[in-house]
Amino acid sequence: MKAKRLALLGLLTTIALIIFVVELRIPNIAPVPGMKLGLANIVTVYAVYHCTAKETALILFTRIILGSLFGGNMLALLYSLGGGIMCLLGMLLLRKVIDEKHIWVCSVLGAVLHNIGQIIVAAAVMQTAAVITYLPFLLVSGCVAGLLTGLCAQLLTSRINLNDF
Amino acid sequence: MKNAKLWIIVAAVIFIAAIVWCVIIITKPPGEIVTISQDGETLYTLDLSEESDRTITVEYEGRENVIEIKDGRIHMLEADCPDHTCINTGWLEDLPIVCLPNKLVIEFADESGADAVAR
Amino acid sequence: MGRFFVSQAVLLCLAALLTSCGQSEDNQTVDTVSEEENSTSMFAMNTYVTVTAYGNDTEAALSSAEEKIRSLESLWSVTDENSEIYAVNHSGGNPVEVSDETAQLLDFSLQMNERTNGAFDISLYPVLTAWGFTTEEYRVPDDDEITQLLERTGVEKISLDGQTVHVPDDMQIDLGAIGKGYAGDLVAEDLKQNGVKSALIDLGGNIQTVGTKPGGESWSIGIRNPFGEGNFGVLEIGECAVVTSGGYERYFVEDGNTYWHILDPETGKPAQSGIISVLVIGAEGRLCDALSTSLFVMGLDRAANLWRNSDDFEMIIVTSDGGIYITEGIEDDFTLSKNFSQPEVSVIRR
Repeated sequence: MKAKRLALLGLLTTIALIIFVVELRIPNIAPVPGMKLGLANIVTVYAVYHCTAKETALILFTRIILGSLFGGNMLALLYSLGGGIMCLLGMLLLRKVIDEKHIWVCSVLGAVLHNIGQIIVAAAVMQTAAVITYLPFLLVSGCVAGLLTGLCAQLLTSRINLNDF
Repeated sequence: MKNAKLWIIVAAVIFIAAIVWCVIIITKPPGEIVTISQDGETLYTLDLSEESDRTITVEYEGRENVIEIKDGRIHMLEADCPDHTCINTGWLEDLPIVCLPNKLVIEFADESGADAVAR
Repeated sequence: MGRFFVSQAVLLCLAALLTSCGQSEDNQTVDTVSEEENSTSMFAMNTYVTVTAYGNDTEAALSSAEEKIRSLESLWSVTDENSEIYAVNHSGGNPVEVSDETAQLLDFSLQMNERTNGAFDISLYPVLTAWGFTTEEYRVPDDDEITQLLERTGVEKISLDGQTVHVPDDMQIDLGAIGKGYAGDLVAEDLKQNGVKSALIDLGGNIQTVGTKPGGESWSIGIRNPFGEGNFGVLEIGECAVVTSGGYERYFVEDGNTYWHILDPETGKPAQSGIISVLVIGAEGRLCDALSTSLFVMGLDRAANLWRNSDDFEMIIVTSDGGIYITEGIEDDFTLSKNFSQPEVSVIRR
């Protein structure tokens, strides 16, 4: 891996991390656990279309782990990882069938998979199926948030090309 | 072949289905039997219509959740977890109250709350 | 520098994962009444039986209960060639000496026949066999066949003198509609004799309790929804027996008609009383068991009249048009499930 490429990946990770930490500062008033905008995923969605699978995974997991450390909530890490893995795998497959002009669709479906992953982990950790009641509410908010982050990523795609650096 | 249209439809269907599902959950009339469980184990089964006002304290790894029952309703009064989502959920209505860090769930019981089933 | 970044990321991953594992394995403290819970399950009396006892050192009591159930099964099985009921059914019309338990159960069955005006009938076995409910090779017998078979029934032809039973040669009896209830009584008694203060006996959905739940809470019993999956309500009970009978328990469908195993002794056909399920609650399992079957046969009005003339049971009746009827004695103990579409409950009063 070239040093330049690594520096770029590090930069993307840092951007994601900053967005994540800033979002943490916004008081979360959602009545449903796990419901949030997830703006840091703008970077993830962008990376899915501009980096290799391995690179994207590295960016995502480093961000999730460092983000949990900064946020001081290690239990949230489990939920984020569960959602992140589902979302990442799904989007890496979807990029083969969805072209770059429709990144927002990929992002919405990624958010949906993220929510499903979160709920699976939550159900396993809490050992109750009760949390499944949250899924539809998470899905609705996830679709909206996914659309937003997807459109942001689309904006970036048309303006920034990693190969220019 | 890249067919974005198909996936737009898929996303739209999921979105609409999720909204319908939400409506179904919200319109369900609430029950009266409530269970409080932690880590998959039921700690309390309460009949809200018969409970007098009181608070219940549940401990987990040194952290505490305080549950309050008032006027036949139940909610999380205090929690020393980082996110306080369970307090934000408010009174128990359609959605179960979940404290993820302390693995605590307050929900309306259906058949699962019974000791046995007569059939 | 790149290497450093990667290895640091991996290290962080590991560190984070290890911390989270350590957390989830810690023990929790819970401030509830903790009583030891022991249970035993077995397949007996054609059903799945579970006995759960609360308190310390209940293992011996549970194995005694298990033995009791096994021994009662071996007395009352219709198919076991060594059972007393088999001996009675194959006596060739000669008197048969039976055990005290069997004699008491037979005596009670004959009383129940009288009390329900014939709706409770242990002599229907030949008709039940013709329908295939005993072998699961279901068929619809024609009217002539049923008329002939009904001539071989009738509790009044059975005589019981102390522990000596006389059943005519062409007749057969079957304690399937009462045996589990009586077994519940005897097992509950056995558990109490062995010092158990709190227990739940589940004989394939026939519930019998000993005492209250540890801590004095009442037992909450779900009631099976006769129209589909799940429960239609919850009943809070103390020490008592709860037995249901329903058309959903055992049935078959032929030419679009549903035939269930609860037969009307008068017609020899599945009882069409407008009732789809009956729940009976009372102190005695045998009474609840016998009544749940016979109230199903009698229909809502006759059942309500029988209840008004009695003081030893309460009931919940669901009719096939979705009506729920509950007697006033348990009005406050019943909670209708939020999942059940029928919101109306009618209370039967004295």
